[in-house]
Amino acid sequence: MFAEFGYGILVVSFIVAIYSVFAAVYGATSKSAAMVESARRSMLLMFPLISLSAAALIYLLVNNHFEVAFVYEVTSRSMPTYLKVTAWWGGQAGSLVFWSWLLAAFASAVTIRKWERDIEFLPWVIVICSTTLIFFLGMVVVFENPFTRFWLVNGNVEPHMFAPANATLFTAGDGNGLNPLLRHPGMVIHPPMLYLGFVSYVIPYAFAMAALITGRTDDRWIRLTRRWSLWAWLFLSFGLVLGGRWAYDVLGWGGYWGWDPVEIAAFMPWLTGTAFLHSVMIQEKRGLLKHWNMILVILTYALVIFGTFLTRSGVLSSVHAFANSPIGPFFMGFVTLSLVVSIALVIWRWPMLRGETEMKSMLSREALFLLNNLLFMSVLVICFWGVIFPLVSELFTGQKVTVGPPFYERATAPIFAALMFLMGVAPLSAWGHSTIQTLGRAMWKSALAAAIITAVLFATYTQNYIALIGFFLIALVLLVTFQEFWRAARARQRAQSENFLTSLTRLMGRNRRRYGGYIIHISMMLMAIGILGIEIFQKETQGSLKQGDQLDIGGYTVEYRELASWDDSGKGVNFTRATIDVYKNGIYLGELNPRIDYYFDSQQNMTIPGNRSTFRDDLYVLLVDWQPVSSMGATFKIFVNPLVNWLWIGSLLFLVGIIFAAWPDRDPAEEPVRVARKANQTSAAD
Amino acid sequence: MTEETTNEKRGVSLPVQIAIWTFLAALLALVAFGLRRAQNPMAEIGKPVPQFDLEYYPGYEYNGTAKMSLADLQGKIVVINIWASWCKPCEQEAPDLEEAWQFYKDGGDVVFIGVDYVDTPAGASEYLTKFNISFPNAPDLKSNISSILNRQMGVPETYFIDRAGVLRHVKIGPFSSVNEIKSIIQGIE
Repeated sequence: MFAEFGYGILVVSFIVAIYSVFAAVYGATSKSAAMVESARRSMLLMFPLISLSAAALIYLLVNNHFEVAFVYEVTSRSMPTYLKVTAWWGGQAGSLVFWSWLLAAFASAVTIRKWERDIEFLPWVIVICSTTLIFFLGMVVVFENPFTRFWLVNGNVEPHMFAPANATLFTAGDGNGLNPLLRHPGMVIHPPMLYLGFVSYVIPYAFAMAALITGRTDDRWIRLTRRWSLWAWLFLSFGLVLGGRWAYDVLGWGGYWGWDPVEIAAFMPWLTGTAFLHSVMIQEKRGLLKHWNMILVILTYALVIFGTFLTRSGVLSSVHAFANSPIGPFFMGFVTLSLVVSIALVIWRWPMLRGETEMKSMLSREALFLLNNLLFMSVLVICFWGVIFPLVSELFTGQKVTVGPPFYERATAPIFAALMFLMGVAPLSAWGHSTIQTLGRAMWKSALAAAIITAVLFATYTQNYIALIGFFLIALVLLVTFQEFWRAARARQRAQSENFLTSLTRLMGRNRRRYGGYIIHISMMLMAIGILGIEIFQKETQGSLKQGDQLDIGGYTVEYRELASWDDSGKGVNFTRATIDVYKNGIYLGELNPRIDYYFDSQQNMTIPGNRSTFRDDLYVLLVDWQPVSSMGATFKIFVNPLVNWLWIGSLLFLVGIIFAAWPDRDPAEEPVRVARKANQTSAAD
Repeated sequence: MTEETTNEKRGVSLPVQIAIWTFLAALLALVAFGLRRAQNPMAEIGKPVPQFDLEYYPGYEYNGTAKMSLADLQGKIVVINIWASWCKPCEQEAPDLEEAWQFYKDGGDVVFIGVDYVDTPAGASEYLTKFNISFPNAPDLKSNISSILNRQMGVPETYFIDRAGVLRHVKIGPFSSVNEIKSIIQGIE
């Protein structure tokens, strides 16, 4: 009953979406406000409709309806209810419904806003959102139906949506259960965050396309969508960070990022999105880079769709890949359609997108932002090449060559270093015009202090030159950024005769985007400290210890005390947990409990590290193997990950920064128009 | 509409347009190629594994030959471990695999074959030396084995083929112990 209901609603939403596209196109071309309004209403209908279908799916998941194939694949009786709900996005079919549901929510939110001033955009925004929705719903309705049920036909169990002739419904006793790797709090929110990020980039794209189609190619579409793109960026960033944390906690290889094709597929739209956040400011302040912003938005959307396609179709081998699926060719068709249409539109409207002024100085802030964009694009090109190179190589030479982490690390590290340097310089440069002298005057104190810090680190911490370059850049950016806060707050303090803290908070409140951006820069540097620490200074060892044996690593001494193994039949898991004592310089620090969980339903192991985390380093212990009698010994793999905690601290600050910058303060449509038309604008006038 | 009126309205020149569309077409063709490969049927548990040949890395041999053909190994249990030198979880299971191989190799009944997926010869050789791997290893040239097994996930993956050449078990991710490997092989006997 629920299965038919859920599927029926999906089909209805699919038809409504098709209708809304036709109504919007007809309304726009025949100038019929009534038709556009009809399209808008059908767009608004999508969210409640898909919600109903999703509710039916969740009902089936939570109530162990194992006659439904999707429920059978992703849940089992032993799973707690919250995991059964989140299993919604634990498999291909369900996650496509989830995607559609989020997209419908965002599209509805957009269609509700006041449209008086931009009414010509409305039909085309509806067309883009609905077309994307048609495509995702089409996949669900035709290929990956989460409501398909098992039927017993002549003694065989077959999945069908509707009962074949002479068939009876077949209900399995228990389900397969969700992959244990996905039964982690980080995994519960990592995919939805990424999807939110992906989906919210559809909205800026829809506005960009509307601007191209209507020919209203001024800044309006950018003003309407820049906050969207900030939120989209927030979700995407948060999704990436959560994925890293999950890998660190669960995958048991002591790392957080593996340059896996699917990780890169999510990272690529982040790169273009980040570039867009910067270059959009140049269009707002200086009226430049209109072509470029358009291309970035299209690229971001294309990479979102392309990344999803690569993940879902099995084109790339990856730990993230979904099982072999028939949606590939259909998805391919949609990727082709959206790329061809977008490129054709940009070429058609190219002459209308010319800049209003020209760049005057190679050191002006807009020039440095452009450089920042080029660097982001270089990372993108490296990533893209790395992702498709195995295909290229296989096609032309028949050989596959590694495109593993070393390739990406070596190729991108210098670019990231350059980006860090820019982060130190660009905030000091002025819109319109800067010179070496003005920049040097603004920077020399910070640069000198950073050099002194680096010298101290050289003397006391490390002689590794890559690390020293990294630490120098980190110190430089942090100092420059703090100096910016200090300088501006002091200036305001003098002018307004307030106390320093009041000045600082008011200043930040008035320039949310600017100071939110600076907070993000600071957080990036904290993350860079963590990344340098784990990438350059990570130590590892492996050893089999008998009870009471000790192992030394990185100043720590670990001692194997005991091992326990027990079944938790309620959860359907066997736990094997070791207890080890940790000492440093003879002082007892506490115990760690690395363990291995064995899931009966899916017959899979999960290695959970014991981790002792401090600002200085993490002691990360994995239980690798054990003898049947615990006194005989167990094998451990032990990592010391210096400074890695700063990666997570930085991630949290990063979220604070984005939320600070994106927090709605007033209607963006009411914001003052471009202020910085004059050439010699100072940076403080942002 | 745009504010500009004085500038000449230059569009995108034809050669650039041709370049853009050619690039797009090439990219899509490439992806279509990858897609077609991905659509091949996956090796299924309970079904025979299609025949394939391998040439081992220098220094490796089995039964006095540096080449292998799956057909020649009929009657033995074949354990195919897919790994790569850049793969962290592979390092976790490498000592266990070698230990299991030491246990089975003299019996002659079970063959372990390492298949190195998208790797450089230098990286592979360093990895094999580091973990002292003695069972035969071969590169997955043209990703041939991966496409025959139609692998979808990352490395490591291990495929267990029974004496009749039928795929019996697939392990995705690293083994957690020697005993795990042994118990899977015992289950096939």
